[in-house]
This record gives sequence, structure tokens and C-alpha cells, in this order.
Amino acid sequence: MANETRVKRRTEEGKVEHLRSGTCYQPVVDILELPEEIVVQAEVPGAKPEDIDVNFEDGLLTIYAKVEPRQAPDTEFLLREYRVGDYHRTFRVSETIDSSKIAADYTDGVLTLHLPKAEAAKPRKIPVKTGE
Amino acid sequence: MALIPWRRKVSEVQSSAESPLALLREEFDRFFDRFFAEPFGALDWPAWFTGQAWWPAVDVHEDEQHVVLRAEVPGLKPEEIEVSVTGRQLTLSGEKKETAERKEGGYYRSECRYGKFRRVLDLPQTVDPEQIEATLAEGVLTIRLKKTAEAQSRRIPIKAGQ
Repeated sequence: MANETRVKRRTEEGKVEHLRSGTCYQPVVDILELPEEIVVQAEVPGAKPEDIDVNFEDGLLTIYAKVEPRQAPDTEFLLREYRVGDYHRTFRVSETIDSSKIAADYTDGVLTLHLPKAEAAKPRKIPVKTGE
Repeated sequence: MALIPWRRKVSEVQSSAESPLALLREEFDRFFDRFFAEPFGALDWPAWFTGQAWWPAVDVHEDEQHVVLRAEVPGLKPEEIEVSVTGRQLTLSGEKKETAERKEGGYYRSECRYGKFRRVLDLPQTVDPEQIEATLAEGVLTIRLKKTAEAQSRRIPIKAGQ
């Protein structure tokens, strides 16, 4: 059931070691390969653009988004299918990415990172000339 | 013989937890329990049944005057979501479209869900259909429904007797 796997992924916390307090969730992501770039789309609903921190260091790309609680801590829920907490996920990025040109934008709770491929890694078509 | 006590047979099957028939039966029991017992989300049919690819996770709470529902719908625009209220049922539907980039490229990881969804939730109180407010910000949809006057809770002062 789609919903169940989604919730499970969100609560997966073991893979990253983080030194911050509080519960962190791994955002679900799509990682796409396009001819010119790799695109990472991460779902971080509830995060404000100014609270999203994208960091690239030593080949590690880190997404960290702070999320404020939406309700008073003593709220009694009639139904509660998800938890609110910060998002944190790290990816190892290969050298074929031009890290100086990584760009990020954020709309409707989805963070999109554009990781342009380095010149050497782009597919190149070699024109074949006909000899005389 | 027509007088075979079939009830005992059923209970025998039930007791041997390993038998595949018992497991199937448990599965059905769970399904029906969920269907009848939960006041909310009772109409959450499994995906294989409805052909739905996903549905948004929801939380609901109420205060004295409102019922407040919040759903996580990252990637959806306001015009892609439809909210309607009929009596004590709230319907949430829409479609999360795949981005152009997604259609075009191959992918390394595909964890996000796309496609149509429809959810019907039973509201805990009757609400005023004229006073429903829905806002979408950062992928979180908030629906505030004002309870009807009869449904609002009133605090009754308790006097001390002599």
C-alpha cells in the first residue's frame, strides 16, 4: 500500500548520523538523470525557504530543513498520520558533477537541486566526416 | 450428514495460526476491522483496490469552534487540489502531475508518488459549509472548518452547592 511505504520512508532515521537534537526525517526524493545535469527533487512539506540549508562539502551533498511544529505540543489529534520534524539527508556526489554550479529552487514544498555535469562527463556526439 | 457442527471447524482453522487459510482469514478480519472500526479514514481503500497511486497523509484536530485538517501535499498547486464538503463528509481530491524533467530522463531513485488521489473523511462534528477556509503553503494544505452552533462545545459553569 502506497501510503504505508511512504510513511515508513519518512520515519527512516538510522542511515544518517546527526548531531542535532530532536527527531529528523529523511525526505523522499526523486533523482533524475538528464543529458546535462542530475536533478534531485526532495519533498520537504512545511519547510520555509529560508530554513532550508543545502550544503556541499567533500563530495557530500547535505539537505537540512528546519520545520516548525504546526500545532501546540498538547494538541489532541483525532487523526494523525504523519509527524512533523526537521528533514535531513545526505548524498555522495561523484566527481563528474560541477559542484561550483549547483543550483537549488523551492516551490510548493518541493526542493529541486540541479547538479550540472562536468564538461568531461557530458555525452558528446562526434561528427563523422566523409573522407574524399 | 446435515448436522455437522461447522462452527467448530471454523474455530479449528482459526487456532492453527500457521495455516495459510488462517492467515488469509486474519487478513480479511483486519481489513474489515479497519473498515468498520475507524471513525476516520474508513474509506481508505487499499491502492490495489482503487487504482490510486497515493493519497496525502492527514492530521485532524479540533478546538472549541473549529475542526482543523492538515494534509501534506508537496508539489501540488492550489488549482490542482479540490476540497468539498457534503454533510459530514469532506472530500479531498486532485492529481499530482509528473514534472517534465521526470518524464524526460531516466532516474536513479524514485521515491515520490504521482497520480490521482481521492480521500473521503468523516468529520467529527457538523460544520457550516459557508465557513470553510483552505490555504496551501509550502506543500501543507490547511482546512479550517467552523462547527455549526449546535456542534460547538460550551463550557458549563459548576456552582458550588451549600
